[in-house]
Amino acid sequence: MAYYADRDFFADDKLIEFFNQIMAGNLDLSWYPADGERPQARPAQRQRGLTYADCNLGAYGYDAIPEFLRNRYSMAARGSQLVPGLPDLGYSINRKSDVWSDNVAALYEESKARRWAPAVDIGWNELAAQADELHESAMAQAATLLQEVSLVALEAPSRWVFYINQEFLELKSFLCAQMIDEARHIEAWRKRALVSGQGLGRASVAAEQALKELLSAETYPEASLGTNLLLGSFSLAMYRALAAVATTPADRRLATLSMQDVARSVAYGTGQVRYHLAHQPHKVVALSDYLDRTEHTVIGIAGSPEFLEPLILLAAGSRERGALARGSAFARRWFETAIGDYLERCERSGLAGRRGRSKLAHLVGTLST
Amino acid sequence: MSYLSTIDFAEDKDFVDRFQRTMKGDLDLSWLDAPREKIRCTPLNPRRGLTFRDLDVAPYGYTAMPEVIRGNRGFAPRGAAEPDGLPDLQAEVSRKSEVWAYNIEGYYEEAMSRQWNATTDLPWDDMINANLPEPIGKAYAQLLTFLTEVEMIATDVPAKWLGRLNADFFEVKNFIATQAMDEARHAEVFRKRALTTGYGLMRASAHNEHNLKFLRDADSFAESSLTLHLQAEGMVLTLFRFSEYIAPTEADKKMFRLVMQDEARHVGYGMQHLKWVIDHQPEKREQIHRHLDEAENFIFGAGYAVESMEPFIILSGKGLKKENIQQGLRITNNFQIKQSEEYFERLAKCGLPERRERSKLWKLVELAKQAAI
Amino acid sequence: MGVRFPSVGFFEALRSRMTVARDRFSRLGFFDTTFGVRVGNGTTPNEFSLTFEVFDCTAVREGVRQSEVDFVIEGPAAAWREMLDNIHALGAADTTHSLNTLTHFGEHLRLCYDDPDGHDKMYRFAESIQAFFDLSAEVDFDYADSTRPPGRATAAERRVGA
Repeated sequence: MAYYADRDFFADDKLIEFFNQIMAGNLDLSWYPADGERPQARPAQRQRGLTYADCNLGAYGYDAIPEFLRNRYSMAARGSQLVPGLPDLGYSINRKSDVWSDNVAALYEESKARRWAPAVDIGWNELAAQADELHESAMAQAATLLQEVSLVALEAPSRWVFYINQEFLELKSFLCAQMIDEARHIEAWRKRALVSGQGLGRASVAAEQALKELLSAETYPEASLGTNLLLGSFSLAMYRALAAVATTPADRRLATLSMQDVARSVAYGTGQVRYHLAHQPHKVVALSDYLDRTEHTVIGIAGSPEFLEPLILLAAGSRERGALARGSAFARRWFETAIGDYLERCERSGLAGRRGRSKLAHLVGTLST
Repeated sequence: MSYLSTIDFAEDKDFVDRFQRTMKGDLDLSWLDAPREKIRCTPLNPRRGLTFRDLDVAPYGYTAMPEVIRGNRGFAPRGAAEPDGLPDLQAEVSRKSEVWAYNIEGYYEEAMSRQWNATTDLPWDDMINANLPEPIGKAYAQLLTFLTEVEMIATDVPAKWLGRLNADFFEVKNFIATQAMDEARHAEVFRKRALTTGYGLMRASAHNEHNLKFLRDADSFAESSLTLHLQAEGMVLTLFRFSEYIAPTEADKKMFRLVMQDEARHVGYGMQHLKWVIDHQPEKREQIHRHLDEAENFIFGAGYAVESMEPFIILSGKGLKKENIQQGLRITNNFQIKQSEEYFERLAKCGLPERRERSKLWKLVELAKQAAI
Repeated sequence: MGVRFPSVGFFEALRSRMTVARDRFSRLGFFDTTFGVRVGNGTTPNEFSLTFEVFDCTAVREGVRQSEVDFVIEGPAAAWREMLDNIHALGAADTTHSLNTLTHFGEHLRLCYDDPDGHDKMYRFAESIQAFFDLSAEVDFDYADSTRPPGRATAAERRVGA
């Protein structure tokens, strides 16, 4: 503990005198004349409720946040009347285009509306009744890896939220939504593994090495690009694939609900890069360089034996040779599609020319030879 | 300045070869042979669904977790086979009693099932059309300004610790994630309500901000949780109950009831965590007291924070006239006494009954009682 | 009197049922997208645009203007028929006939889009989109050749089918 109050208030006679005056009815009321803007927020659409977009009014709104925040280092609510003596809380991320995305307020609202609770929203009894040992072993292994991925996707926003200026309220709120989404995935996929009758699978050296590299990004824009757009694209593809090969409605629903959550992170990640590059176009060099050296991590994750082999088995349905051929054909197409979707998102977000530079595109090319 | 994985997965010949062979159907399948306990967890209470408590089966469960995590230094899900080569995440907390709480799994499941939505779960039309008289409207807007200012400290501080905890404590990480979301929701609902009063946001509170700075700064997770969950949120819980009591409309009462539910959960965790710490690390007692000494110094200094105290007086007295202020003072005084008493009660229940003797906060209680005479 | 698939009337019927099932859709959360449905891949496919906002289907129109939709789900009439038959027989799509499965590699149904952001809305609202099409289990409709989807299968028939 290094921060102490500037005095011992218990020995502050002035405080006791002041308090006694108030308690005698002599109110101070210095706050009463506060004469900031007086908006009247109203829902634009009644059935949608009162959204942050409805509160995007004047000095209070997120549109009014300047690009550079100076002299706003406390948690004072945006638009409130500032007073002398507000402390510096140590925020080190104070530039809007380093964190913002035009869709972030809407995505926060969407995440709240589309929440689910794994304990009761998945048909666990249906899954507990599954008897196919090979299927359940593969599912348990995939679920083990998904917990590792989800843990990193949880820790990534949590790492940064402490350092991000409170003026970016809607963005910080979205990071909280990401955190609860990923906590939900850790929970849901752990439950999936332990309902299988096969226990947990093996932790993945490849995936964890790759995930640690993603987690240790040096700047927020890189961290967001890495976890939301790059990793997010492949997590989304992984959930899509698991939903597509599901043999029970419960597994389909589990993968689909997880997919929805990750798709929001991808949408934010794409939007964040777009916003960042629109305001800091010179950063395209740094971000492209970041992807050049970091893209390989998704091969370590989605291409790890701990995910890829279970996926092939789930698609194949058995270890019989012909089935494995079908399963691996599924996996090749899946990987190719995932990379294609990821590269499209890169182009859309302003990272032009990614396809020509990407090692992923090259690797896909080798699969057909 | 970033961690680099031990191989480049796109270029490492062995990895790429294996990847390509896998893609052709030549599977290794060594993961199938990884040692594991083959258990099947099922919902014990179908109405509750499948909960973390249902998963509390050795070797995967939390009961079997040792006090010190010597093995898992990476992201491995607790109980998963850990092959050589997993990275070290440099976890700073690998001791269970630093973070654990009785019933942590229950608090998490409750949090997940009781998430509500500030956007849609309140009758905003009723609040917008409430037409509060100016003293009430301004006092209420000032109270809401204070609340929206302080709420997300309880996002930032636990989030700061989340990534520092060993991966085996995922129930705690998950609970922290739900708290982060709860607090974002609280900042949101109070801000939205302020912007519907017709008065907007009022004045920031310098003194309370310094208290937030103190909360951001703690040497350990246990100390951080003590002041945040138990002391600060405990007092805020009493404040929410009081706010519900003095809220100007039925819709506002509903708002405070909803935030109160979340806050009570956080306080519950804080209390159960402190109990666990006292039970398992009794040597921390003096350290806890020293931390509370300074926390209480900030609480006492809140006497200067008129922007948080005076709105209560006006709202509970229902106006600015002399008789309203007198009434408001009586009620607010009782609230402050109750807030301190409940704080000491919580600490006593957690195994710190001696705090009342040691604390100087009784001074606040005495002042309030004298003012009440 | 029933409606025909594909037609505006068919999608209007789904829209009505969505209003009745509002509780279910509101539990799934905000649903904000406009997407197209294209049936048939000849020179004159049948095209429809469906707009969803908050918890409702707010508009059903004939035709698709690419700039106005987030994505289009397209496929031959036979693929759509197979999906709808499956939904009608079982009450909801089974795992091999969910939209995600059918569109996964574009072999049965395909997703078309100009903007990856629009494409991703298929995934953001996946469960709601599936629930919308599952409503067709309650609709009395026939196909262009006047044949009808199968009646609801009994539990025994479903087990045999599995």
